[in-house]
Amino acid sequence: MKPYFRNALLAFVIAAALFGTGFWVSNRINDLRLAELRNIQDRIGTDILSLETQFALLESLSCQNIRENSVLSSELNALAARLAYTENQLGSANEEVEALKRQYSLLEIKDYLLMQRVSEKCGLKPVFVLYFYSNQGDCKKCETAGHVLTYLRETYPQLRVYSFDYHLDLGALETLIAINKIEPRLPAFVINGKVHYEISDLESIEKILPLDKLATSTLKKSADY
Amino acid sequence: MNGFFEFFISAFLFVGLFFEVFLLLTFFDPEARRRRRTKPNGNFPTVAVIVPCYNEEHTIARTVESLLALEYPKDKLKVVLVNDGSDDTTAQAIDSYSSYANVKIIHKKNGGKYTALNAGIVATKSEFIAVLDADSFVSPEALREIMAHFDHERVGAVIAALSIWNPQSFLEKLQQAEYLLAIAFRHVLSAVNGLYVTPGTLSVFRRQVFEELGTFVLAHNSEDMEIAMRMQKAGWRIVNAPHARVYTKAPETLPKLVRQRTRWMTGLMQNGFDYRDMYGNPRYGALGMLTLPFSTFAVVGIIAVSFLTVIQTGSWLSDFIRNALAVPFSFTFHVSSFSFDWFFLPLNTVVILGALAILILFVRMCAGAILSNTKPSVGMGVVWYVPFYGLVAPVWIIRAVADVVLGIRRSWR
Repeated sequence: MKPYFRNALLAFVIAAALFGTGFWVSNRINDLRLAELRNIQDRIGTDILSLETQFALLESLSCQNIRENSVLSSELNALAARLAYTENQLGSANEEVEALKRQYSLLEIKDYLLMQRVSEKCGLKPVFVLYFYSNQGDCKKCETAGHVLTYLRETYPQLRVYSFDYHLDLGALETLIAINKIEPRLPAFVINGKVHYEISDLESIEKILPLDKLATSTLKKSADY
Repeated sequence: MNGFFEFFISAFLFVGLFFEVFLLLTFFDPEARRRRRTKPNGNFPTVAVIVPCYNEEHTIARTVESLLALEYPKDKLKVVLVNDGSDDTTAQAIDSYSSYANVKIIHKKNGGKYTALNAGIVATKSEFIAVLDADSFVSPEALREIMAHFDHERVGAVIAALSIWNPQSFLEKLQQAEYLLAIAFRHVLSAVNGLYVTPGTLSVFRRQVFEELGTFVLAHNSEDMEIAMRMQKAGWRIVNAPHARVYTKAPETLPKLVRQRTRWMTGLMQNGFDYRDMYGNPRYGALGMLTLPFSTFAVVGIIAVSFLTVIQTGSWLSDFIRNALAVPFSFTFHVSSFSFDWFFLPLNTVVILGALAILILFVRMCAGAILSNTKPSVGMGVVWYVPFYGLVAPVWIIRAVADVVLGIRRSWR
């Protein structure tokens, strides 16, 4: 065998081994990411269940106590950022990602329902935004709308934004869509029961938000503390 | 698009990794080690060094002085200065050496570099013919180092290890890093007879090569590539003398660098086309089966990767701008306090393999520095080599492809 041919053969084997190792390391890192996502979701799930149980057990649960538990929403936001990153890395067609998105959406719905009850009981007036998007290429405005909502959420802490992939195969989500009669004209926003379609710029979204309520709410919160 | 982009980049990286590993393995081959150990011997046949000059008034004196300082028996060395119809003061500059017994001066009408080289070849009877560009300078031991490698009757040419002369500017340092890579590259390819160029920056030929195959031809302004391909086709070996040092002046500006590389790349493609029967032909060993196919793959791959990268970057930028314009600038460009989170480290297959390929590239660069005894003081050149060439190399490659396809002929300078 000629030396160059022997070296080429050996180089092919080594390159294949290096390629395989790179692929394996990358997969391991993704597995770790997915494990962390599952871990966070489990923790949030337990927290929500705990709060629901407390709520059921003690109808007179103190509102102060509930406010302490409102840390949930920030955890949900952190989870959303991680989930979006993982989806970007592995693709939205990845089964694990899809399963995690389903769980995340369920957690959001549970948090939404719980927070509605809490607000009613404690006299809070948060603004709930249910945001429906699609990443199947049929919603050009969705990315911008998502970015605007991130800005609004950071500007107005009382704004509780729940994002849902409109096409996600999840019974509870389909029920939520049906209850609110949301058509597939995305992006869609449900704000305090009213549906708004196909807007993505800051000005338009701010118009549909009860900003006066948010400002009052912020002041009220400051006074409470 | 994302999936296709990643697949293509991964395939490109795999072939790149394969070739880099092949080079590393061959570096330790017995033939490569033997070439590294080869020392100058007492065999000093007659050599004529031909220096074709066209408007080289700024560098020719240093070139000639370096040749006169060669540690080689003066009665065996002839320096042939060929003025190819320069219209600056090159003629006067070379005439000032007319009193030297071993310097021959030829003035001729401008006809192109290959005609100047051929004029020099017919004007001498030396057993060996060396060619040296008039903007390159040899180290005193270079010729002795080179001649020691003519250790077989089928070694038809020996090429030197080329470095940048006195790299000062950022661009020169970048080119120095590139030339270090080339030193190791040529040394390794020489061990498997895979060289396809005998650079004008000091290559020495047996006279027999020209007698058998003819002298230089126009060859798309790349006569050094054409003669090498002709030699390989005829079964001559081309060898690299890794310790024979030659220095050349680097293009000082980016447009000049792009012009130079476009010419090289055009020459590679056009000569490659002329000798297309050698591609994938096992008769030509590593050259036919590896070097030439890989050079074509690199050209096609770089164009494709650049094209895909531009599309991806364009799409990302357009999304970023659209999103940035949707909210106040203060939000988009707000720098939050840094907190490390491994979760968001961009570690995927492409990034890991890319980092590995770059690491091997640096190992090869270090090998080049050690081989040529160059102080690894290329500093920023080494650090910036990959990003700079990654951005700029596609420019001359695409330009060269366009020239070949559209039949555009550019002047030498």
